[in-house]
Amino acid sequence: MHSKHVELCLNFCCEVGRQLIRNGAEIYRVEESASRMLAAYGYPDAEVFAVPSCVIISIHYGERNYTKSVRIKSSANNLDKLDRLNALCRSVCRDVPEIETATQELRAIIGRPAYPAWVSYLGHGCVAAFFTLFWGGHALDAAIAFLCGMIVKAAVGYMVRRNANAFFINLIASMLLVMVPVTLTYAGCAAIHTDKIIIGAIMLLVPGIAITNVMRDVIIGDFMTAISKLAEVLLVAMAIAVGIAIPFGIAHALFGGI
Amino acid sequence: MERFLPCLYAFLACAGFSIVFEIRKPLFIFLSCVTGAVGWLVYLLLAEIGSDVVRYLLATIVVSLLSEIFARMLKAPATIFLVIGIVPLVPGGGLYYAMDYLLNGNYAMFAQKGLETAACAGAIAAGVSVVTSIVRMAASRRPENPKQKNE
Repeated sequence: MHSKHVELCLNFCCEVGRQLIRNGAEIYRVEESASRMLAAYGYPDAEVFAVPSCVIISIHYGERNYTKSVRIKSSANNLDKLDRLNALCRSVCRDVPEIETATQELRAIIGRPAYPAWVSYLGHGCVAAFFTLFWGGHALDAAIAFLCGMIVKAAVGYMVRRNANAFFINLIASMLLVMVPVTLTYAGCAAIHTDKIIIGAIMLLVPGIAITNVMRDVIIGDFMTAISKLAEVLLVAMAIAVGIAIPFGIAHALFGGI
Repeated sequence: MERFLPCLYAFLACAGFSIVFEIRKPLFIFLSCVTGAVGWLVYLLLAEIGSDVVRYLLATIVVSLLSEIFARMLKAPATIFLVIGIVPLVPGGGLYYAMDYLLNGNYAMFAQKGLETAACAGAIAAGVSVVTSIVRMAASRRPENPKQKNE
């Protein structure tokens, strides 16, 4: 082994770490995967440190120390990629393929396409519609919620492409989705259940992965990660609450109570 | 039978969520939907207990256990099934009504609903945590486990 190999391993593990975090892995999984892979490649005393926004890996090899850090800025929440990355880590630890081969496999995983847009729109609509039924709404409510779900998808997709921050994205998306049932109610369509529609559609914005991971990371003892994730969860929750409140407030001020 | 209709809705809503979170393998989609539906089924079946917090706690424990079992069977991260399966248990209704009371200036009801929701969220967190801890403890004792990194 030579220094080129160290560098390649370092690059590979950092990129795996970055992709794992982006696609919704817990932080302890990132640290464990990276250190196990490095151990498999012959660097058992490598140090791995990860937080939701950064991965730092240091390897002491021969006379020198090799360190690399990568910054994670956006999240993709792609559980398919998470599964495949996890499988890649397992196969690296088991078979120890050439580092070049492993890097190629990693590139293939990163390049995997997402669902086509229409499938994704349909998925968002279904979530909103079925959760509306789940919370006790009627068929008409579900149909309106389906529309709200697609609005959420369109709004979030547009703002993510424009690099908007999480607070603003959730604020605007929840505002837009609430406007639909509120407008319909004030337009005289009294048969719909505004509350059921909103509860069903808002499920799309609830930061499910962050909430689940915060519980799993805090149990492992990674409090730094837990606190930063908790801040994210609370911020998003606040944005959603404010976003729901604004259309109600405006409607109330303009037209009076229902 | 109508009492259990929400389980079907939970199943279908979870299918939608699997697509939102880009799960590709049909088996994975099916199993995460099963996790979600079973979680709500447990919640419904425990109606006699009365205490919402206990119902949420037990339902979450079942959901987490199922996710860990599926994860072991399929050699996939438990997060995949857990993230989807836990969603029907998220007390979205409580949150919404608490906020509704707040907006209408009904602070007494806001405090009641808010605390109720917070307690349920706490129960869910506790359920996930307990199962995760037990599974990790059991897994780290296995001899064939790759050696832990020395501190």
